[in-house]
Amino acid sequence: MNDLIRSSLDHCVKCTICESFCPVSQATPLFPGPKYIGPQAERYRGVGPSPDASVDYCSGCGICTQVCPQDVKIAEINSRARAKLWEGRRIPLRNQLIARPSVIGRLGTPVAPLANWALHNRAIRALVQRVVGIHRDAPMPSFTGRTFQSRSRAHRNGATPADAPTVVYFHGCGTNYYEPRVGEMVVAVLEHNGFRVIVPAQDCCGLPLQSNGNFPAARKYVQRLVANLAPHARSGVPIVSNSTSCGLMLKREAREILGVEDEDTEVVSRSTFDLCEFLLSVHQRGELRTDFRSLPITVPYHAPCQQRGHGIGKPALDLLALVPDLHMIELDVDCCGIAGTYGIKKEKYDIAMAVGRRLFSDIAATGADIAACDSETCRWQIAHGAGVSAVHPIELLYRAYGLGAADAPGAHRDLPLAAVGDRSTTAGNGAQR
Amino acid sequence: MTTQSVVIGAGLAGLTAALRLTEHGHRVVIVARGAGATHLAPATVDVLGYVGGERVDSPVASFDQFFARSPDHPYRRVALAQVEAALTWFSARLAGLGYTGGLAENLLLSTAIGVARPSALVPRTMIGGDLRAGGRFVFVGFRGFKDFHPSLIADNLTRAQVPAPLTARAVELALPRDRLGDLGGRRLAERFDSRQYRDWLVESLRDKLEPDERVGLPAVLGLRRAEETWQELENRLERHVFEVPTLPPSIPGLRLFDALTARLRAAGVRVVFGVTAVGASAHDGRIEAVAVANASGTVSYPAHSVVLASGGFASGGLALDSRGVTRETVFDLPVAGAPAAGSVRFAPRYFDDQPLAGSGVPVDDQLRPVDADGKPVFGNLHAAGAILAGAVPWKEKSGTGISLATGYAAADAIRGAPVTSMAEPVR
Amino acid sequence: MNSLEADVLVIGGGSTGAGVARDAALRGFSTVLVERRDLGDGTTGRFHGLLHSGGRYAVKDPSAARECISENRILRRIASDCVEDTGGMFVSTPWDDPDYGDLFLKGCQDTGVPAEEIPVGEAIRREPRLNPDIRRAFVVPDAAVDPWKVVWACARSAEEHGARILPYHRVLDLELDGERVVGARVRDEHSGEELRVRARVVVNAAGAWAGQIAELAHCTVNVRAGMGLMIAMNHRFVNMCINRCKRPADGDILMPIRTVCVIGTTDLFVPDPDVTEIRQADVDLLLDEGEKLVPGFREARALHAWVGVRPLFEETAKVADTRDVTRSHALLDHDSRDGVAGFLTITGGKATTFRLMAEVTVDAVCQHLGEQRPCTTADESLPGSERHVMYRLDARLAAREPVPQAEEIVCECELITRSALEAAIDRRGTTNLDDIRRLLRLAMGPCQGGFCIYRAAGILHHGGRVDVSVANRALLDFLEERWKGVHPILHGDQLRQSRLDDWIFQGILDVEHLPA
Repeated sequence: MNDLIRSSLDHCVKCTICESFCPVSQATPLFPGPKYIGPQAERYRGVGPSPDASVDYCSGCGICTQVCPQDVKIAEINSRARAKLWEGRRIPLRNQLIARPSVIGRLGTPVAPLANWALHNRAIRALVQRVVGIHRDAPMPSFTGRTFQSRSRAHRNGATPADAPTVVYFHGCGTNYYEPRVGEMVVAVLEHNGFRVIVPAQDCCGLPLQSNGNFPAARKYVQRLVANLAPHARSGVPIVSNSTSCGLMLKREAREILGVEDEDTEVVSRSTFDLCEFLLSVHQRGELRTDFRSLPITVPYHAPCQQRGHGIGKPALDLLALVPDLHMIELDVDCCGIAGTYGIKKEKYDIAMAVGRRLFSDIAATGADIAACDSETCRWQIAHGAGVSAVHPIELLYRAYGLGAADAPGAHRDLPLAAVGDRSTTAGNGAQR
Repeated sequence: MTTQSVVIGAGLAGLTAALRLTEHGHRVVIVARGAGATHLAPATVDVLGYVGGERVDSPVASFDQFFARSPDHPYRRVALAQVEAALTWFSARLAGLGYTGGLAENLLLSTAIGVARPSALVPRTMIGGDLRAGGRFVFVGFRGFKDFHPSLIADNLTRAQVPAPLTARAVELALPRDRLGDLGGRRLAERFDSRQYRDWLVESLRDKLEPDERVGLPAVLGLRRAEETWQELENRLERHVFEVPTLPPSIPGLRLFDALTARLRAAGVRVVFGVTAVGASAHDGRIEAVAVANASGTVSYPAHSVVLASGGFASGGLALDSRGVTRETVFDLPVAGAPAAGSVRFAPRYFDDQPLAGSGVPVDDQLRPVDADGKPVFGNLHAAGAILAGAVPWKEKSGTGISLATGYAAADAIRGAPVTSMAEPVR
Repeated sequence: MNSLEADVLVIGGGSTGAGVARDAALRGFSTVLVERRDLGDGTTGRFHGLLHSGGRYAVKDPSAARECISENRILRRIASDCVEDTGGMFVSTPWDDPDYGDLFLKGCQDTGVPAEEIPVGEAIRREPRLNPDIRRAFVVPDAAVDPWKVVWACARSAEEHGARILPYHRVLDLELDGERVVGARVRDEHSGEELRVRARVVVNAAGAWAGQIAELAHCTVNVRAGMGLMIAMNHRFVNMCINRCKRPADGDILMPIRTVCVIGTTDLFVPDPDVTEIRQADVDLLLDEGEKLVPGFREARALHAWVGVRPLFEETAKVADTRDVTRSHALLDHDSRDGVAGFLTITGGKATTFRLMAEVTVDAVCQHLGEQRPCTTADESLPGSERHVMYRLDARLAAREPVPQAEEIVCECELITRSALEAAIDRRGTTNLDDIRRLLRLAMGPCQGGFCIYRAAGILHHGGRVDVSVANRALLDFLEERWKGVHPILHGDQLRQSRLDDWIFQGILDVEHLPA
């Protein structure tokens, strides 16, 4: 597989389509574009450590590979090049830290109120920027006091019969440590549709380690996760993920970028579905409950870069079209800029905000109060940059089903949203905090 | 009963077929390996530019002569009225881009090396460059923008074969200071969206221009605000201002792509990039579903009809292996016009007629790929664009014309087809 | 008619001729070099770039092997900027007799070529694209040399010591005074003007054409022209020079050279070194041989094909297989051999030993002129190699950091900046983009000029440097020349590229209708 990725550079005809779509190269002179960094520079690599530090400015959004008409695995080549670059160098503490969200999560959760206070304190953030290199204004989620794993262990679902179809829920670090409410909604919607939801023990998929160029550590994480999920996959149980980036890791990045190619990983890859993809397929079989209430709001929808990397279309929109009176606006901007951990870095924050600028203004132009997006880091960026609440599409389905005691149509404006911990969101231009 | 059509390919042919199909009430999914080829082409609609070695002044008047030489050309599979309708439809759907022209008379535009190239339908930002009436032209280039050489254009244009006398000269400007010495078309176009850049251009040119001179600039005058940019420049410079298309990335092509995909989105079309159509499941000579490989496996898209617009060799819709075997890469359809394996594939001189040129998928009058007996391979599979046999678009200057006309005609052929119960609607 | 006078006139601008000119100039002789085309356009610029360790000759041609290892060490030092320290491997594929490996090791031992057998697993680890079924592997100090860099560095060095280097000057006739060669009548191919060069000694370093030059002095030198095909693949499948461990035969070398790897070569006697062709059967043969070394080679992207003609000198010239002719060089003193004084021919040999060939030649020149001056070329570095830093593949990539697009990059595949291109155009005073290609590698990358040739034509024309008709001609000539090397290997990915290039040149630019 190593070879197939590198050899795909042979398909490059220098057409410049990838460059035309690359959001980062438009926003900074420090990144010469995916054609340059990928198939072009790759012909110069292979002997000794790579000299081109500009690789590190690739955000890993993956848009280049999606739009390449010749099937060059550009983003994958770039990721590998970045890892090679870091192989020869000491990975900075910051990158080590932010690449391990589950470690940070485990440290922060027991002291959530204090941690959250610190993370949103301007003076401390200024210090953190100087010492660690995380930009003072970068959007930060809030720790929950009780992880989703912990909550799910306490969850009892009496309504689902023992012989109900099962589904395994891969919730990811974002849901576990920062947005457990989203996880609860996922389970509620699945159970509402007659599924028995298994939440196995699980840890980080390793994606942030991969995107920070630490492949050996990333492989360890993903292999551990796969070991937890494989037994279910082998029994034919589908695995659903509500984080489109983590889901993509299992679907293909572990294989294509990290080169992990064992049988367990293969069977997990084949059995992994994005949450909306899964629900839509249930609907296509005629088995999705459509007892939706009216939800008369307008919501712009942004499909994250890595959601589009699944190549499944936009199932969130197809599902939400079933909800009466719900008006979804399909935004056409490619990237919000955050790209996982990229946009919180001090030297990349401005680039990320420039990349996302058009998305933020397009959202503002709709006049809506909330936006929908499948990836947690993108939601935090959207909330920060556009000043609106950002929800996972599942939340709209949840509310439309009328699940959750205190919910009523339109009540979302008053309820603290699950989007950013259990606190209200902040506007990027400092309106609220 | 709604029907779902699957379009394979996101070039002009595929996007055209998809949009036209929505007007016939179809649900459409476009599956494409990448973002097509509109970024590579000048975004003019070139119907017919050359027949043999002769430049065409009037496409409609030249078709007969053309078909005498190229009897199997894709244009023969569509009615003339359809070609006309496709052009009209295209201009209307993309009113924001202001396309002008038709089949009666080609416009004549300068290429980025100063050759007069015929074109049938041209966006408003390029109309001022029509050479047919002659006149005085000045070409303005930018130091640091390597894909436009105004003195080369001016010197060649002065010697070009044109219907009326013209003069041409060149001006080179230094761009405003930038950390980048090599901006590229895309970045430059975005800079022109800003007021500051337009002010700079107007100020720099104001006293360098002569009366009655038309000002030719590289096609980078704005990306999202192109119409406004061009209009402003014309107003402030008080002259005709026009764009000259150059090497990829074609900014006018990007604008065309954005405009088309916006209309597709508004019409509810789902466009899926980064996937590969790998085959189909069929029953009784009709395709039931298209198999598409994505991130982790293969999914099936049920289809009432399928349009194959995967392009020719350039985009991998056709492939030639090292032993000289040509194949169509999605459905393994029969290919016409390809030299047999082991025989000569290329002529020794570059500009000679090449044996491999013109190879592609042969189709019937419904634009359905046919076998050696002329029977459609699948009753509900149509093909459009560069995959079709019988054309040498870069020599004929007919690429976008073929894509537009056959994409449009394929959609119309599907509309005429009966809706059967073979394919389940998705909802 | 203009005239020049010199101690030494060198005919031939390949590595041998340039080496002779340099050596002579360094020894203080006034020197003129004439070459009918561009420097290095003959055999030197068309071979695969292998700086032999000698392993290839260790069994069959021990004297050649010894020369190779000795010169290999010298060139690594004095021409370091032109040489990439790739190392080399000899591998026994399932198609090769594994016992030959023992012969190979013995031969290397006997000739002083360092060779070491390594485990197959280690070989695959170093070169993951190699056929996993190889049986044996040996490492040797092969290297990759850029022949144009070498030739131009020698020319520059010679000029720095007073020599006149004249490319595009064709020898029309040798001038004889009785039984003595006294000079040559030469034509400047650009201006059409004739020039007479008078010299005390004339050195015939015309490689495969040496026989034709010798004829002009009524001497018979039988140089057999062995035509060989090479194919460059789009990227490096290997980073070491890979040789088949067997008796030398067709297609048994796969070389990494700059950003490509090259498979070669074939061997066919041709009566006229200027009449060559690329044959489909040879293309198929090389692709098939490549497949034995690197699975997937057959359908991989081939970038360009070309033929070179190797000069094989044999006194009796009655050998069936040109490969059996020795690859060692021959210095012919026509005075003793043919009774024609003032005339030397240096022929045979190979690029790796050019410096040695030059040394023995200039030693003979010294004898002729009765002035013993010592050779310093084994110690004195070529211009550009003074710091003995060997060439690295990623040099051009590194040079663009930290803001890669801080400068206009004209040829993106090969990372050539506008300033480098303009400097080369001005320095060479040429309007031939193929000449520029040899200097900079312009248009030698994947797109084969699809994007950069239009830009280069524009830059050539810029500021009135050349008339538009010259710029147009340069572009059209380049396209025609490039096509010769592209169409024989056009399939798969390269055909896609070629179609895009057709689209650019004919569809977008419409160069076919440029004014005549």
